Amino acid sequence: MLRIVRRFNRENPDVHVLMQRMDWVTYYNKLFVAGLGERAPEVFIVHAGNIERFMQADFIRPIDDLVIGPHGMDEKDFTENIWSAVEKEGRHYALPLDVHMLGMYYNKKLFREAGIVDERGEPRPPRTRREFMDALDQLTRDTDGDSEPDQWGFVYTWYRTNAYTIMRQWGGKFFTPDNQRCLLNCPENVEALEFCVDLIRKHKLVPPPENFDSWIGFRQGKVGIAFEGIYMLEDLKKQEDLEYGGAPLPLLGKIPAAWCDSHTICLQRDLEGKRLEAAWRFARYLSDNSLDWAEGGQVPVRKSLRDTKRFRQMRVQYEFAKQIPYVRYVPRIPFVFEFFSEYETAVEKALRGSLPPREALDIATENINGIIQRREQMQTTRGTSP
Amino acid sequence: MRKGKFLSRFSGYLFLLPYLSLFGTFLLLPVCYGLGLSFFRWEMLSLAPPRFIGFGNYMEAFRTPYFWMALGATFRFVIMIVPLVVIGALVVAAGINALPGRFQALFRAAYFFPTIISISVAGILWRWFFNTEFGLFNALSGLAGFKAPWITDVNWAMKSIVFMTLWWTLGGPMVILLAGLRQIPTQYREAAAIDGANALQRFFYITLPILRPVLLFVVVMSIIASFQVFGQTFMITRGGPELSTRVLMQYIYETAFTNYRIGFGAAMSWLLFLVIALFSFVQFRIIREG
Amino acid sequence: MNRKKTGILAIILALGAVLFLLPVALIFVTAFKPDSEIIHFQSLLPQTWTLENFREILGNPEEIPIFRWFSNSVFISCMVTALVLLVDSMAAYGLARLDLPGKKAAFFLILATLMIPGQILLVPVYLILNALGWLDTPWALIVPAGAGAFGVFLLHQFFLGIPRELEDAAVVDGCSRLGIYWRIILPLSKPALATLGIFVFLGSWNDFLGPLVFLDSVDKYTLPVGIALFQTSYFAEYGLTLAACVICTLPVVIVFLLLQRHIIEGISLTGLKG
Repeated sequence: MLRIVRRFNRENPDVHVLMQRMDWVTYYNKLFVAGLGERAPEVFIVHAGNIERFMQADFIRPIDDLVIGPHGMDEKDFTENIWSAVEKEGRHYALPLDVHMLGMYYNKKLFREAGIVDERGEPRPPRTRREFMDALDQLTRDTDGDSEPDQWGFVYTWYRTNAYTIMRQWGGKFFTPDNQRCLLNCPENVEALEFCVDLIRKHKLVPPPENFDSWIGFRQGKVGIAFEGIYMLEDLKKQEDLEYGGAPLPLLGKIPAAWCDSHTICLQRDLEGKRLEAAWRFARYLSDNSLDWAEGGQVPVRKSLRDTKRFRQMRVQYEFAKQIPYVRYVPRIPFVFEFFSEYETAVEKALRGSLPPREALDIATENINGIIQRREQMQTTRGTSP
Repeated sequence: MRKGKFLSRFSGYLFLLPYLSLFGTFLLLPVCYGLGLSFFRWEMLSLAPPRFIGFGNYMEAFRTPYFWMALGATFRFVIMIVPLVVIGALVVAAGINALPGRFQALFRAAYFFPTIISISVAGILWRWFFNTEFGLFNALSGLAGFKAPWITDVNWAMKSIVFMTLWWTLGGPMVILLAGLRQIPTQYREAAAIDGANALQRFFYITLPILRPVLLFVVVMSIIASFQVFGQTFMITRGGPELSTRVLMQYIYETAFTNYRIGFGAAMSWLLFLVIALFSFVQFRIIREG
Repeated sequence: MNRKKTGILAIILALGAVLFLLPVALIFVTAFKPDSEIIHFQSLLPQTWTLENFREILGNPEEIPIFRWFSNSVFISCMVTALVLLVDSMAAYGLARLDLPGKKAAFFLILATLMIPGQILLVPVYLILNALGWLDTPWALIVPAGAGAFGVFLLHQFFLGIPRELEDAAVVDGCSRLGIYWRIILPLSKPALATLGIFVFLGSWNDFLGPLVFLDSVDKYTLPVGIALFQTSYFAEYGLTLAACVICTLPVVIVFLLLQRHIIEGISLTGLKG
């Protein structure tokens, strides 16, 4: 990213961009505190999943006039579901830069050793539930004779993305369309979660979860399959002794789905005149150069950029991008962190076996509905949806 | 004579002035602001303006199971770590103090070293240590045939955090106690030895009483610090498994800075303060009088 | 204590010390491993010693102005230490020794502030610093640090332990209050002052939240914040993080080794009557 910024600065001598980066947790906090003191940056990047509250706090500027304007872009270059992720009441509030979705990473060496290969002897990543379960059967093994598996076919990494994807694949819902009531404990979600739990407890093909630390196992070469985001590619590239591949997620449920989020470029609300023009120019530059950005483990949102030879050569990104037609963002609610706290706790309890999936989801649903009620009580005359 | 006393008092206050002016501006003032905040409902995620609700936030805290869970987690931590760290630090300090002066520096540095490491690195390190499937501890114990669920079992997690904290924070109190021990004139102990007291007696009857003010400091600071534990649980378990290690500070942090419920977060901070104040006060009385 | 007992004690302490140091040694040693080796945790010592982690951090001055950060940290930490040692020792002396009405109340008030969870101060202090125009300057980190009660409490307890006879003797000799403070109390408190100095320096050096929130420009950052900020991945880049830790920790180690001499010096009171 810095290289792109540097190039921009060189090519645009009348604009100077100072870039700062940090990890996401501290970044959002700093952004928040800075906003209080009105010292927020002119251009900043926000995850699409978090954008609702920035919209509601009236923090960012809609960009539709800029998109249509003289330095505009072709709206149709953005895939439908991604462009609508930044839309509210007909206006678009941010420029999506990339989409990072969940996908399947698999260990080619382990696949070959287990004989899960196609006619040419190349590893064959599973595409259906049947193939997935068969693969796990062959990959989960006890290699040092202590009657405990130390090579696993699959590990759960980040609860949030893994469970969300699988629930969506079962056709599960999370909220009513107006986001007024939580439907987390609908039968589809319960079934999906039961499937996840069975993999650990009934079939014993998957170890108890350790949240995202399980990824270490994949990097060590002890795990056959892991579902993680495309952004983990950078991490894998460092592992020189690991032969990994990427593929679209298998269809474990009924409906193809994959969790996703996007980095979107937002402009501060009060920008105008020259600063606005400069900021937009920079935003466009980033978008135009998002293939460079993609090298680090991202997928560009613009179809025209994905259609290029250069992108096709990015093997893993290319495979993951095949899921774009059915990627699903998380529910668009401003209290998204509170929601995920409840959600992840429920998933964790179920996966660890502390509570049956139905009960865990029931409790979470009740709590989330409580949050919605609390927020409703707080609205005075504005009547904005929570 | 009255003028003299006044001048004497005045110059005495001058000693306090620099500190008190900083204290007033950067502590008292923000504290009052924070106190005021706790009486308002202010959630940055909605456009509703801040509204005065009296003790509403406090009532909500009492009604929320999560508050009690978090307080309980903090409590379990404090009960375990404070005795361990104080006694451990005292034992190590006394041991080092008994060695010839030349060697003391080396040992003291060794035990203090972990404290120099910042929490982010210590956290990463111990997260690797504790990892059930792929971590160092289980790799070692796996050779002996068992794997411990260090941070994945609800009954183990907090104890593992305490274990790590002992390593990380023993050095601080130890160094302070050692300085306190060094301040005790050796003549006192030599005199007692001549009078026939053995090492243990000397320790309890001579050393400990003189050490009392410093010991009080160490105990009270340990209590205050451990009630505010945050870094270790945040970095190593993120409050898991199943929120069993989500201490109150983390819950407050998430409430105020992640969910942007500022008023509620402020109220809980004040409740935590009351708990800490109560405990510290009790300790003060016990150690001062006892 | 006789030789044998000392020897046994030394051995026991040494064992403990080794256990304490092992994780630290691990950090230092792992910083020299290439990332792909780190993840396997096979051997404790690197199979290939490499400087690539350090090179990536140190060799990239445009993106990672590490020497800038280093000097910022040094300046701020030294200033904070000096400020706290001076201001807190004066206040502690006043509270411990001087006969001032209301001092007990003041002491407890100051003590009470230690019990206040720090997060609650973040937003108001930010607003105050903004009003003063100190945001994005080192003063935002130096001045508020002087308000902490830790040093006052620590030195207060230490001063209580200094025999009053020494001060009484000085008063009889006609010494002013300031003179007592400067010439008697401070020298006698070297162990306490050195200890406090180490803690304050360490706390300021490792401080993360303060510089993160109160500083905006990259060239004003302190070392821990600067280094943390160039990490972009979601999870730990072990090699870089540990190398950064080594770089960050070395100065503190040096300060510690320098100061600890003073902690060892005890008081010799050969001149005092029984």
